[in-house]
Amino acid sequence: MSFGSPYFTLPEFTYHKPKTLREALELLEKYGDEAKVMAGGVGLIPFMKERLISPTHVIDIKEIAELKKLEYKKGEGLTIGATITFSELEKYQLLKEKYRALYQAVKLASDNIIRNRATLIGNICEAIPWVDGPIPLIAYGAEVEIKSLDEVRRTPVADFIKGPVEIDLKPGEIVTSIHLPDIPEEAKSGFLKFNTGSEFALLNIAAYLLITAKKKDVRLVYGAISSKPARALEAEKILLRDGDLNALISMAAIKASEELEVISDVLASEDYRRHLIKILTMKLLKELVEEV
Amino acid sequence: MVHKLSLIVNGIKRTVEVKDNEILLDVLRDKLKIKSLKAACWRGECGLCTVLLNGKLVKSCLVLAVEVDGSEIITVEGLVKDGELSPIQRAFIEHGAFQCGFCTPAFVLASHQLLIENPNPSEEEIKEKLGGIICRCGTYLEIIKAIKSASRFYQKK
Repeated sequence: MSFGSPYFTLPEFTYHKPKTLREALELLEKYGDEAKVMAGGVGLIPFMKERLISPTHVIDIKEIAELKKLEYKKGEGLTIGATITFSELEKYQLLKEKYRALYQAVKLASDNIIRNRATLIGNICEAIPWVDGPIPLIAYGAEVEIKSLDEVRRTPVADFIKGPVEIDLKPGEIVTSIHLPDIPEEAKSGFLKFNTGSEFALLNIAAYLLITAKKKDVRLVYGAISSKPARALEAEKILLRDGDLNALISMAAIKASEELEVISDVLASEDYRRHLIKILTMKLLKELVEEV
Repeated sequence: MVHKLSLIVNGIKRTVEVKDNEILLDVLRDKLKIKSLKAACWRGECGLCTVLLNGKLVKSCLVLAVEVDGSEIITVEGLVKDGELSPIQRAFIEHGAFQCGFCTPAFVLASHQLLIENPNPSEEEIKEKLGGIICRCGTYLEIIKAIKSASRFYQKK
């Protein structure tokens, strides 16, 4: 039922459904920036309906077997292929046990019907400032693997997202997988999201915490506060100090709320977001520490 | 380019011709005349165009028709067996789990799928699993009651 309004229809394009990665890369090479890759389509299709993008070629990668990888190897970490959906991740027991922050973010992303189609890699490639996927991935130091016909490269998720709807991906390239490094047994991680009933997070936060006698490693990552996800590096340093952990957490939460670049928009003022950063940082870190 | 799709819709084999840029929702409603799905937000937010695609709930406004060649699709029409309403449909009627009825097909279908996957869901699970569908009249409490009351029929299965 097209009412003639663009909002209800899609622009014209040619649909391709390659069976192999090689075939997909050849199509991407041939059509360059006129082509868009589609996995779940839950991001691409609304963007096309609104004519924010109008690719003349849509390359559906769902049939490509080598992109369906979901595999953990001890010592190496977890590999998540480009067509793995949020629902598949939600059911993957290892995620719940080992990569808690990612599991919690997956559970809170959109709704469970959308999650049947939406992929984690699609979520990252959208690079919308309030999406949940990239936040825990940056906390784990995850990298994306990018392939073109003549190159394979890896780049940290933190660098891959350059700004709102802007990613480090050239025409002819495709993100094939995400790699999360293996993490020590003692490491704790978690994710929190604050939203007011709409899908738009006012703040999302992931923490990775490894505090043992031998080694300390802390990462605090924030989304929905400015143009791209950001780490609170000064707050992380506070948590690396020796001393009463609860006191350090309070100091780190205050520091994070001060050091990060935060915007005001229609959803929340800068002051309100800074307040949320402080409260949620404290809440998340205390939860993680109590588990230790 | 015109593609000839072959689908199984509510147990019946159907063929339909579609263009690359046609949306599954429009094809089901306008070409296959399945009117239980509603076109309301067109962008995956309200869930009223939800169908079961190869056993998984999806919002058909975000699916290209050409993608689903060879698939099995079930809509609320497919829950009726030999002219008899399914237990979840009867439960919706008994509990008055609708007002205007616009969202009812989507809620019934998602509730049915929820009970197949988990015949004894907690209230939290019901809320979580139906979170992607919006009832503009706000009959959520009655919907939850209907699902709880229908759950015994799914446990026997």
